[in-house]
Amino acid sequence: MSTQRTVLLKVFRFGPDDAAPRYDQFRVPAGPRTTVLDALLAVRRLKDPSLTVRHSCLHGSCGTCGMRVNGREVLACVTRIEELGDPVVVEPLAGAAVAGDLVVDMEHVYRRLEPVGRPLVRASERAGKKDGTADAGPVLEDLERFEDCIECGLCLSACPVAGDPRFLGPAALAAAERVLEEPRGADPRAVLGLVDDAHGAWRCHTAFECSAVCPAGVDPGEAIMRLRGRLLRDRLPRLVGRYHREVRP
Amino acid sequence: MATQLKEDFTEATRWRRRPRPTFAWLAQVTSGVLLLVLLTVHMVAQHFVVEGGLRTYADVVAWIRNPVVFAVEALLLICVTWHGVAGVHAVLLDLGLRGRAERIVARVLGDIAVATVLYGLWLLYMIAFRG
Amino acid sequence: MTQASRQGARPQRRRPRWLDPRGRHLGTWAFVANRLTGLGLVAYLYLHLVLLSTLLRGPEAWDGLVELFRRPVFLAFDLLLVAGLAFHGLNGLRVALVGSGLLVDRHRALLVAAAILVGLVVVVAAVRILA
Repeated sequence: MSTQRTVLLKVFRFGPDDAAPRYDQFRVPAGPRTTVLDALLAVRRLKDPSLTVRHSCLHGSCGTCGMRVNGREVLACVTRIEELGDPVVVEPLAGAAVAGDLVVDMEHVYRRLEPVGRPLVRASERAGKKDGTADAGPVLEDLERFEDCIECGLCLSACPVAGDPRFLGPAALAAAERVLEEPRGADPRAVLGLVDDAHGAWRCHTAFECSAVCPAGVDPGEAIMRLRGRLLRDRLPRLVGRYHREVRP
Repeated sequence: MATQLKEDFTEATRWRRRPRPTFAWLAQVTSGVLLLVLLTVHMVAQHFVVEGGLRTYADVVAWIRNPVVFAVEALLLICVTWHGVAGVHAVLLDLGLRGRAERIVARVLGDIAVATVLYGLWLLYMIAFRG
Repeated sequence: MTQASRQGARPQRRRPRWLDPRGRHLGTWAFVANRLTGLGLVAYLYLHLVLLSTLLRGPEAWDGLVELFRRPVFLAFDLLLVAGLAFHGLNGLRVALVGSGLLVDRHRALLVAAAILVGLVVVVAAVRILA
């Protein structure tokens, strides 16, 4: 018979018929395991069904529900309300065009990732083996390992620089580093040319905000620095005159 | 499988032809490290060695007339102007400077840097030789 | 520019991300502090050049300025300057290392080390200036 705990959400609203963005306030029930996404879906169910929210897997592996909660980029489905205080400010990812309320057009993520051409599967790591012996337990198939990045866009939103559409951004730069680490038929020279740019790896200001918010363990900040190390190791001989040195991938 | 990269980004020749972004970083790092040394020397020699911390007019002139001091101060001026103006350029870029405005601002900043160094060198010369 | 590739997607009001302090982590604070101290130091560079130009007006003008700068408020400003310089220089060294791919996984530890050194420098400078 305890009174149900509630939480006050201040939610960013900006629909196609709105002249300007606004913040709507909703008070919804919240228990110890209620996530931000739960609370937003409660808003849709109980208060305002027009609130636009996008999600999919509900367990932090698809990257669809990325948004800013109290200014910090998170996946809403795995962010607990009870850790956040009251009220909770919910906004869409920064630097992206808003399709409606909390849903953004993810084109800014994909158009950066696509030219890098990093495959989805990491060839260097596999899990499990085909077990030929007759055994009681289940046989593990040879498992493929996906790259860590779930393309959620949190890093691009958090990055202090990525508001500039020319900047390749943490996700694409980390992807480039992966391609250089495992070329798998790609031309390393082309990738190095892509990132060796004032708006490529050199635009990063070592804030490491991307690594702090990445939900998938990509550590884009560190990847960018490794990329810069590669560029320097390959560039420096050129700068001191050895122009015909082969590019080391 | 071989991955496809968009033509407008591929340009493998760009990698060979344009050292400018790497050079800009190295220039900032080099000037920064030099400044760590030069500024420490400058602060200690100018303000922490002299009794009271500040030299009188006569002391300044005598100090600057020392060729080593003159050279160090000149080098300091060049490094700090380069490093500072490059830094301001980066800040402006992150404030949204783009396109034609960016090119104009880059040109103006370059002119300001040159003017600063020239003025500083002239000032050094005037103190040392006409003081 | 942020073009809507799907009908209805509207650009958000563009505000530089590094000016939004909510939810940010240590690395971003170091970056912002480096930026602010850098801008402050550039402003000081030009102020310093203006003040040094007083030397062109002869001994009376310069020695008068020196007397002015012995006042406590200016000494306090000097200490602030040393602190800003120390932070920008030592954190800058960290940025130079990490940003060139060295000691990247230690970037937080390097920041702590830099902060400690800055504290030491400020204490030494304070003792010297206020003595």
